[in-house]
Amino acid sequence: MVDRYAPTSLAAALDLMAHEELVPYAGGTDLMVDEALGRPFVFLHGIEELKGITDNEDSFIVGAGVTYRELLAHPATPELLKEAVAQIAAPAIRNTATLAGNIANASPKGDGALVCFAADAEIVLRSAETARRVPIASFYEGRGKTVRRPDELVTAVIIPKKHLAGYRFEKVGARKALAISRVSFVGLMTIEESVVAHLALAFGAVEDVVARRPAIDAMLIGKTIEAARGAAEEYLAAWDEAIQPIRGRVSAEYRKQVCLNLARDFITCRLG
Amino acid sequence: MHPISQPVVKKDHTEKMAGSAEYVGDFYSTDMLHARFVRSPHPHARILEICYPELPEGYCSVDHRDVLGENIVHVVEDDSPVFEVDEVFYVGDPVAMIIGPDPQRVKALAAATEVRYEVLSAILDIDDSDTVFFDYHYGRGDCEDAFSEADKVYEEQFSTGYQEQAYLETQGMSARYEDGLLTVHGSLQCPYYVHGAIAKATGLPKGSVRVIQDYTGGGFGGKEAYPSFLAAQLGVAAMKVPGKDVRVVYDRREDMEFTSKRHPSRCTYRAAVKDGRVTALEIDVRFNSGAFTTLSPVVLQRGIIAAPGVYHVPSLKVRGRGLRTHTVPTGAYRGFGAPQTFFAIERLMDHIAADLGQDPLDFKLAHAAKKGDPTSTSGIYHYEVPLPEMVDKVCEMSDYRAKRAAYAKEQGRRYRNGIGIALWFHGCGFTGSGERDFIKAVVGLHKHADGTVEVLACNSDIGQGIKTTFSKVVAAELGIPYDQVSYGNPDTSRVPDSGPTVASRSLMTVGELLRRAAARLREEWVDGQEQSVEEHYHEPDFMLPFSLEDFSGDAYPTYAWGVSAIELRYDSLTGANDIVGCWSSFDVGTPIDLAIVTGQMEGGVLQGLGYSSMEQMATDANGRIRNNSYSDYIIPTSADVGELAVSMHVVEFPFGPYGAKGAGELPLVGIAPAFVEAAEQALGARGINHIPLKAEEALEYLGAAQKEAHR
Repeated sequence: MVDRYAPTSLAAALDLMAHEELVPYAGGTDLMVDEALGRPFVFLHGIEELKGITDNEDSFIVGAGVTYRELLAHPATPELLKEAVAQIAAPAIRNTATLAGNIANASPKGDGALVCFAADAEIVLRSAETARRVPIASFYEGRGKTVRRPDELVTAVIIPKKHLAGYRFEKVGARKALAISRVSFVGLMTIEESVVAHLALAFGAVEDVVARRPAIDAMLIGKTIEAARGAAEEYLAAWDEAIQPIRGRVSAEYRKQVCLNLARDFITCRLG
Repeated sequence: MHPISQPVVKKDHTEKMAGSAEYVGDFYSTDMLHARFVRSPHPHARILEICYPELPEGYCSVDHRDVLGENIVHVVEDDSPVFEVDEVFYVGDPVAMIIGPDPQRVKALAAATEVRYEVLSAILDIDDSDTVFFDYHYGRGDCEDAFSEADKVYEEQFSTGYQEQAYLETQGMSARYEDGLLTVHGSLQCPYYVHGAIAKATGLPKGSVRVIQDYTGGGFGGKEAYPSFLAAQLGVAAMKVPGKDVRVVYDRREDMEFTSKRHPSRCTYRAAVKDGRVTALEIDVRFNSGAFTTLSPVVLQRGIIAAPGVYHVPSLKVRGRGLRTHTVPTGAYRGFGAPQTFFAIERLMDHIAADLGQDPLDFKLAHAAKKGDPTSTSGIYHYEVPLPEMVDKVCEMSDYRAKRAAYAKEQGRRYRNGIGIALWFHGCGFTGSGERDFIKAVVGLHKHADGTVEVLACNSDIGQGIKTTFSKVVAAELGIPYDQVSYGNPDTSRVPDSGPTVASRSLMTVGELLRRAAARLREEWVDGQEQSVEEHYHEPDFMLPFSLEDFSGDAYPTYAWGVSAIELRYDSLTGANDIVGCWSSFDVGTPIDLAIVTGQMEGGVLQGLGYSSMEQMATDANGRIRNNSYSDYIIPTSADVGELAVSMHVVEFPFGPYGAKGAGELPLVGIAPAFVEAAEQALGARGINHIPLKAEEALEYLGAAQKEAHR
């Protein structure tokens, strides 16, 4: 019985996936420790087409085979992404783990996925017959669940560059390396001519899917700094209401308090 | 520093680096049988019936009916069975074992074994315990008088949690019975402890049992007593299937849930203070022993002897209890009872000083014992107590005094720093007269005709480098090259009983025996001849005999000393901390290898830092360990300490080889109180008397301090 495939082209991989339900295996850093997996793997490391990084004027495109180490080493990688990736796991893991794997794995604790949420990234899905781009917010259906069909492969992640300048990244882990986030946070705010032109907060590891609420952020977008300052309490109260933390080894109350503290600090620092 | 301290290439360097060292899980044979336990799912229950599934050919069950000797695993007392008979006492208590050739099938058959239980009420908290395993008392002076005359009396409660040894290699053992000989090899610290336990459980004469230590991937105390259990169980199994290897290697979850860890503690301290001096201490120490006594008596003894810390307090009244609960038996872990009580006394001294408006470090130094002062057990500090010089060194390394003053003032908006310092000792070697009365260590040296010399002892290299340091001592004393001396993994059929690899005793006590043996061999040396010498332990003459009846006399021949300052930076938004630095001075006598000792000191400090905060081990409603994997049980990495600096202070011990004292356990012992003192300053909190100190709690303290500031 064949239980693993190592195709050397994307077409070959997609052809295999069209005929059999396979677990795509990129870096494998989550899969290799999961004893319960019974289904066969399709290894992606031999597929050159997935290894590209493309730096366009308005987007940064990461192929599904690009490792964290390669992202860190690339001169065009956005600073926000670099800062987040530099704190993921440890060098040995970053040598093989991929951003696409972090996203497709659908853990709410993925720091790479968090950055993509804040940046409103798009996920590129290909099958032997089809190709589509899905906004990351629509990609997830819950913890461990995505809209990817069994015959589809995540081939790339498209990160818009427009709003990445005024970022803040925070990771609260149980230690400084090899730590799964207890809470992670990205804040993006752009101010143009004293008006909040863009605002996006995203919280990782608190809900089943990264918490990103454009409707709440819209409360401050378009407001002058002064007006935004006036509405800040209402804005934070809306987040307080919105965040429903999962229970884990650290309490839900703690997770929520940290989210709100980080949000408040970010907003206060930016609005002055 | 002494020339012997100069680092060398470790004796086991090449095989460990090359991957050719064989650990118990590496051995391979085509007819190997694998073992899997059937364990109690209840904390306390009566066993009504064991129903095995139909076992295929080549598979069999093992339980108490197969125990041919006594159904007892001998540790200190004889209360732990090899397999339970009619009652189980904690979740994980072994009832039976399935053995067979295919590990997956063995696992399935063990899972399919149905044991019917009548569930009984369980006691999970020591406050509810109705069984006192051990109750020790000692004291001196007149406490009643001191308390009645005190200007002020302080009383505080302290608690500490579990700590998992987290050795890299899990517990594992292999046994084979053939031609009347039972051979057991595995991951272990104490070959002759295992040897004795197997003989008792199997009923075999001691000459028919052979124990070999395999390369061992760390122990930290966790492989002092537990391997005796595994070896007895596997020995019993092996005798059921003569001619076959039977092996068990735990997976991480099994290891973390069901093997011994550090005793959680609750202590109450009362202090009488008169004219700014602590005149009396009344101390009540309680340790959670879990379901069986295992090593609790000796852990508790060390804990209560250390209970007044490094301080000379005229009147003492100390009580220590080891209490039974229906939880996993606790046992040895680096520090052996002392980290719990040093945490308490150091915190108490900090709090008294703060209340008196004194600098805590000055307050501690003013109370610190000096050479010639009585120890807690009315023995004597026979040798120099170098704490003042070590404190000066640590202050210089850490800039403690300036930082302590600076962080007492208002700090930045987001981050809050704090610094703390602790003073401690570790009594070197066995507590009391164990060495003289029970261990009676014997070592040998065998010189081959070609002039190479083999060390004959049973102390196991578990990463601490004893192969290297023994060889260095012998080579130095003989005046021959280090490469000419060898020390292999102990095999009880070849080496005498030089005692267990515990209590920071191996190098100081056994190393000194080897040095003396080498001195004799040098005298008797004849080129080209095979020669052997043997050496036996004698207690040094200067010691005041120790009595366990009333805890009086010299509990230890000498002491290793530690001083550490720790600086923390707390994030007021998240409650998380950065360990800015940890600066330490340690006196372990002459370091026999400076590289090894420095590694030991740094590693021990890291374990102490983990114990203080990030290593959290919770239990469920049945008392079962929940944090059973390395993603759930967080131990520090080298990235977690900004600056980790260690300086060695040397007070030579004349009865240790080249002046060496005990080293292994020392660095962990006093880290937690320094950590929490730093946390108190950073968090603006008073009276943090528990570890592990969690980020959640830190955030609450920070919130409370902020509210206080706004008022």
